[in-house]
Amino acid sequence: MGPIRRGIADSLPLFIPAIPFTLVFGIVVRDAGVAAWLGWSSSPIIFGGAAQITLLTLLGEGASVVAASTAALIVGARHLLYSVTLAPRFQHQPAWFRWVGSYMLIDQVFALTAVDREEDPKVFRHYYLAAGTTFWCLWMTFTALGIVLGPKIPSQWQLSFAAPALFMGLLAVTIDRWQKAAVAISAMTFTWLLADMPNRSGLLMGALLAIGLGIILERLRR
Amino acid sequence: MMVLLAILLTGIGTYALRAVFVVTLSRQQFPVLALRALEYVAPAVMGALVISMLTSSEGQVALGMAEFTGLAAAAWVAARTRNHIYALIAALGAYWLVGYLGF
Repeated sequence: MGPIRRGIADSLPLFIPAIPFTLVFGIVVRDAGVAAWLGWSSSPIIFGGAAQITLLTLLGEGASVVAASTAALIVGARHLLYSVTLAPRFQHQPAWFRWVGSYMLIDQVFALTAVDREEDPKVFRHYYLAAGTTFWCLWMTFTALGIVLGPKIPSQWQLSFAAPALFMGLLAVTIDRWQKAAVAISAMTFTWLLADMPNRSGLLMGALLAIGLGIILERLRR
Repeated sequence: MMVLLAILLTGIGTYALRAVFVVTLSRQQFPVLALRALEYVAPAVMGALVISMLTSSEGQVALGMAEFTGLAAAAWVAARTRNHIYALIAALGAYWLVGYLGF
């Protein structure tokens, strides 16, 4: 199979776990009271599910532009790690692909390229673009569907709880040692104690305090 | 307008995070401590977000028995299965059940 068909075929199964995100996203856009097109515009502009959900949830809850954007960017901070990791493989690529490829550097594309250790620059480029374009088309379509279908779900189902539940699941999946669990629990406690700070700044304060605690625990560990 | 501004800022910022090393082909190494700190960003921010998502615009945290049970179910199932979809289903199921029973 050529790299383009392989990129498409590898992407399709990986998109399935993203489908609940698109429904939760639709509910978040409705609850935020944001126009459908405006909420959806975050899909092409940001192209990152967790950051989009974070941003629109916080805006809907009355956060300031700066507080909500900062929180969404901290959620997306892992992309910096992807960029560092993949930079050597963009060494022999044309400049246009480095600019376009950066836009497509989402979790799933990173995961696929980490598995597929293709060394030929042209094959790598075709594979990467095929996977990235596939995810892009699916994400644009399914987030639009989520925005249309989300508001159709009866409010008695109380699906507003889906967003914190989804993030709790994602959080628990990342925990592989007790230090991370301690950081997560302290972040929740700090944020709770700081909940009435203006413009949702308690979220950032709570997260930063917990990251500080994580650095201390990490130093003690070694 | 403020929503569009926030989306644009987040879009530009997200692109910058993804592009910084890929576009510049920087071979600079991150300090080890910064890499270690980055590992704690996800649990800290996600934890803070979960509480923030349960906070009303007046600053009240709505964490009753139903929410607590739902979150505990999500954490337990995610830790066991490493699958966030099962965790979401378990959380919603526990939340509905406890809410239905009226605790």
